[in-house]
Amino acid sequence: MISVNRVSKSFDGGNTYAVREVALEVREGETLVLLGSSGCGKTTLLKLINRLLEPTDGAIEVDGQDIASQDPISLRRRIGYVFQGIGLFPHMTVEENVAMVPRLLGWSRGKRRRRARKLLDTVGLEPDTYADRFPEELSGGQQQRVGVGRALAADPAYLLMDEPFGALDALTRDTLQQELLDLRRRLNKTIVFVTHDIFEALTLGERIAVLHNGRLEQVGTKEEIVGRPATDFVRELFEKPARQLAEYGDLL
Amino acid sequence: MLAQAASWFEGFMAFLTPRLPELWLRTGEHLMLTGIATGVAILVGIPLGILAARVRPLRGGLTGGVGILQTIPSLAMLMLVYVILDGVGVPALGAPTAIIALILYALLPIVRNTLTGLQGVSPAVVEAASGIGMNSSQRLWLVEVPLAMPVIVAGVRTAAVVGVGIATLSAFIGAGGLGQFINRGLALYNWRLILLGAIPAAILALIVDGAIAALQWGLRRKRSGATAAAAALDRFFRPLALAAPVLLVAAGCFSYFSTALYGRRVTIATKNFTEQLVLGEIMAQLIENRADATVDRRFNLGGTPICHEALANGEVDIYAEYTGTALTAILKQPVLSDPDEAYDVVKEAYSERFGIEWLPPFGFNNTYAITVRRSMAEERGLEKLSDLIAISGQLRAGFTAEFSERPDGYPGLKEAYGLRFKDVRDLDPSLMYQSVKNEDVDVICAFATDGRIAAYDLKPLDDDRNFFPPYHAAPLVRRELLLARPEIREALELLAGRLDAATMQRLNYEVDGKTRSPAEVAREFLEREGLLE
Repeated sequence: MISVNRVSKSFDGGNTYAVREVALEVREGETLVLLGSSGCGKTTLLKLINRLLEPTDGAIEVDGQDIASQDPISLRRRIGYVFQGIGLFPHMTVEENVAMVPRLLGWSRGKRRRRARKLLDTVGLEPDTYADRFPEELSGGQQQRVGVGRALAADPAYLLMDEPFGALDALTRDTLQQELLDLRRRLNKTIVFVTHDIFEALTLGERIAVLHNGRLEQVGTKEEIVGRPATDFVRELFEKPARQLAEYGDLL
Repeated sequence: MLAQAASWFEGFMAFLTPRLPELWLRTGEHLMLTGIATGVAILVGIPLGILAARVRPLRGGLTGGVGILQTIPSLAMLMLVYVILDGVGVPALGAPTAIIALILYALLPIVRNTLTGLQGVSPAVVEAASGIGMNSSQRLWLVEVPLAMPVIVAGVRTAAVVGVGIATLSAFIGAGGLGQFINRGLALYNWRLILLGAIPAAILALIVDGAIAALQWGLRRKRSGATAAAAALDRFFRPLALAAPVLLVAAGCFSYFSTALYGRRVTIATKNFTEQLVLGEIMAQLIENRADATVDRRFNLGGTPICHEALANGEVDIYAEYTGTALTAILKQPVLSDPDEAYDVVKEAYSERFGIEWLPPFGFNNTYAITVRRSMAEERGLEKLSDLIAISGQLRAGFTAEFSERPDGYPGLKEAYGLRFKDVRDLDPSLMYQSVKNEDVDVICAFATDGRIAAYDLKPLDDDRNFFPPYHAAPLVRRELLLARPEIREALELLAGRLDAATMQRLNYEVDGKTRSPAEVAREFLEREGLLE
C-alpha cells in the first residue's frame, strides 16, 4: 500500500505549488489512475513516490514505512518505473536494458539472462528475435514493451507508469492497454498509472484520482467519478468527451 | 622533361638514403613522445572532465585553467616547463620537459570534450537511470560515460594530432623527434631538411588520427540488422582495427629502442648556430673514429644555459663553449682580458663546481673583430687597431645595435683607442658584411670566425691593446666520462690548437656560403689534418 499524506511540492520556494496538499491511498493490488491535463502535477506526484523528487511538505509511506527514511536507491529498485519518454539506454541491447535492475541487484549473469528472456516473452517480444537488438532498431510500441519489461525485471510489488502510451498511435495504444490489463491479471501488481486521456483512464483504472492545478479534485471508482462528480471541474471533464462521442455516433 | 625528373629523383634519393636510419630513429622518438603524453593526458583529462561535469563550482576554473594552458605559445611553454623542472632538481633536458608540455596541451581537448560529451547525454536517459535505481557512480559508468564516449574519443583524436604537431618543437630542448630535422634545417637554411621533418610529421599525424578512429570503430557495438556481407567484412577488419594503435605504439618502441640502445653511447650537444654545428660534428666524428663509441647528436639546443644545465646534469657528455661566455653568462663574473687567465679561471671553477673539465682550446678566438676591406687595409697600411686612430675621423662605421650599446663594444672601444668615426650606423648583423664589401661603410664589428670575412676578402685588425674580452673555444666534457673513457680525452686533445681563426672562418663559410652539410665539412677537415685512423 502507498499512502500519500497531505503532500505538497513547490519548485520555487513556495510561490507556486505543482502538487498541493494531496492525500490519497493506493490499495494493495489495485490500479490507480492519476488523471489530469498537462501541468496538473500528476507526473510530479509520481516522481515523489520513488523519491526522484522530495516533497516540500507532507509524507509518503510505502508498505507502512515513511520513504523519507529509506535509501532512495534501494527504494527505486523495489518500485518499477515506466517513463514517459521511454528512457531506454540507447547503447545497450534490449536484453541488457531489461536485465539492468537485476544487474544492479547483483544477480548472476545466467539468472539475469533467463529473467530477461522470460520478461520479453511476457511483454510480447519474441526473445530470439529481439534480445540482441538495440532500442533504435525497434518501433515506438516495441520500445515501450521493453520499457515495461525493464520495470518488471526485479519483480517489484509496485509499478509506476508515467503516460507510457502517450506517444503511440491509437491502434498500438489500444493493443498495449489490453495487454496491460492482461498482465495485471497475471502478475497482481499495484500500479499507479498517469494519463491525460480519459478513455485510457476509464479502460485501465480501477479507481481514478482527478488532479487539477496541483490539487486532488476527487478520487473514487469510475462509477463514483462519472456518476457523482464532486466538483464542476470533474463534471465538465467527463461531459465533454461524452458530447464528442455523441456527435461521433451521429456521424456514423 | 623526363631526364630532368630522373635527375631530380636521383638527387632526392642521394639526400634521403643516408638519412633513413636517423629518420627511423626520430620517427620512433616522435611516437614515444606523443604516445606517452597523450596516454597520460587521457588518464588525467577524462577524470578532470568528469569532475567538471559533476561538480558545478569547479567547472569554470577547470575549463578556464586548461584553456589558458592552451594559449601559452609552444616554445614559451617548453621553456617554462624546463625552468620549473630544473628548479626543482629534476633532470629536465629532453623527454621529461617535452612530455609534460605535450600533456598540458593535450588536456584542453580531452577535458572539454569529456565535459561536452557528458552534458550532451539526454536528460530523459539520465532520469531513467536514476529512476530504476542506479546510484551516482553506476549512472556515470554504465550510462553517461558510454554515451559520451564518441565525443570523448573525438577529443583524444584532436589531442593526439595536435600533439604530433607540437612535438616537432621538442627538439628545441633536446627531446629528439622529427623536429630535429626541422631545427637543423632552420639553422642551416636547408629547406630539404625542414621538409624531411615536416612531411613525415604530417603523415604521422594522419596515421595517428586514423589509428584512433580505427580503434573506435573496432570497439563499437555491432547492430544485429547488418547483412551477411557486412558482417563478414566486420569480422575481418575488427581485429585489425583493434590492433592498429597497439601496432603503432609497438612500431614506435621498436624503432626507438632498436637504435637508441645500440652500442656505447656518448652524447654531444651544440648551440644553434653554424660554428657550433661544425665543432659538434668534428668532435663527434673524431670520437666515433678513435674511441669506438656511438655518438648521440643532440644538436641545436636553444642557447648557452640549456647546454650548460644539460652537461652539469649529465644528460649530455660534451659540448663546445667559449671562455668569455662561460665567465660572464655562467659564472657571472666580469670579463678578463688576458686569454690565459680567463681560461684558467673557468677551468678551475667548472672543475670544482660542476665536475666539468675544460680540455685544451681549439685555437681560435671568436670575439668581436674590427674589420675593414683588405684592399683598403693594404692601401692605407692597416694591420692593427691602433693604426686606425689617425684616420678614424674620415671613416664610416657600421655596427650592430648591440655593439653600439655594450660596454665591451663601441663605448669602451672609443675610450681604449680614442677612436672617433665620422659616422656610425646601426646595421643588422646579416647586412653588415654586405655593406662593408659594397663600400657603404668602411669599418664593421665582425665576429672573428665568421665565414664571410674570408668570402668577402675582408681584413680583421689586431686588437693590440687587448680591449675585446677573449672568447676562446674549447671542448667541455663531464669528468666522469673522462675517467671512465680516457680514450675520449686522447681523441679530443688531438684538436688542441688545430683550428685557428682563419681555419674556422673557412669551415663556417663552407656551410654558410656554399650550403654544404656540417658533417661533410667536418669530415673533410679531419681527413686533411690526418686525424682519422
